[in-house]
Amino acid sequence: MVKPTRVTNSIRSMRFANGEMTQAELADRVGVTRQTIIAIEQGKYSPTLEMAFRIARVFHVPLDGIFQYSDEQEASE
Amino acid sequence: MAFLEKSNWVVIIVGVPTLLGYLAVIVPQALGQAIADISWVQPMIAAIVAFVVANVLGNVVAAATNPQEADKNDERDREIDRVGERVGNWLIAAGAIAALVLAMARADHFWIANAIFLGGIAGALLSSATKVAAYHGPFQRW
Repeated sequence: MVKPTRVTNSIRSMRFANGEMTQAELADRVGVTRQTIIAIEQGKYSPTLEMAFRIARVFHVPLDGIFQYSDEQEASE
Repeated sequence: MAFLEKSNWVVIIVGVPTLLGYLAVIVPQALGQAIADISWVQPMIAAIVAFVVANVLGNVVAAATNPQEADKNDERDREIDRVGERVGNWLIAAGAIAALVLAMARADHFWIANAIFLGGIAGALLSSATKVAAYHGPFQRW
């Protein structure tokens, strides 16, 4: 439950690049609470695949234009 | 703060004093007289009613502070709720099993009722504490 996610994202920079969209506005467009957007931005929560697609669709970019998966730990596993 | 997080804070804020209040009434009696003579039924009913009523009022107040958020929840809220309930259910089940064993051993009703009561309230508190912790720390499903 508390294992840090290796999924990173660029939602914050994408919001600013898209007319300084607020977290509340993004939350409304994705259909989640503002707290969930904050948690995703801070890397405290990895969204489901469906939510990730909805977020990417808001910014008109492919999924990996928003979410990245770090492979730093794979070598040590 | 999400409404469901507030709602879990209400359980903690209400549940801890309810539990401590009940114990403050029962423990001195248990130390000073025979178990069969302890007046525990009314304090337990009062604690249960107070817990439920205070929870309802707390949720009403929490909803009134931000009505737009009161009926909103999403997949993160539901996942946190599910994990918290699963953790809390262990204590509730432990209380039920303890009550079953006590009943089989023909223990006094006092012990059986209190095993269920304490398991229930401790389970609710652990469940809500788990959820509040999940709202503040990393919460990952993957």
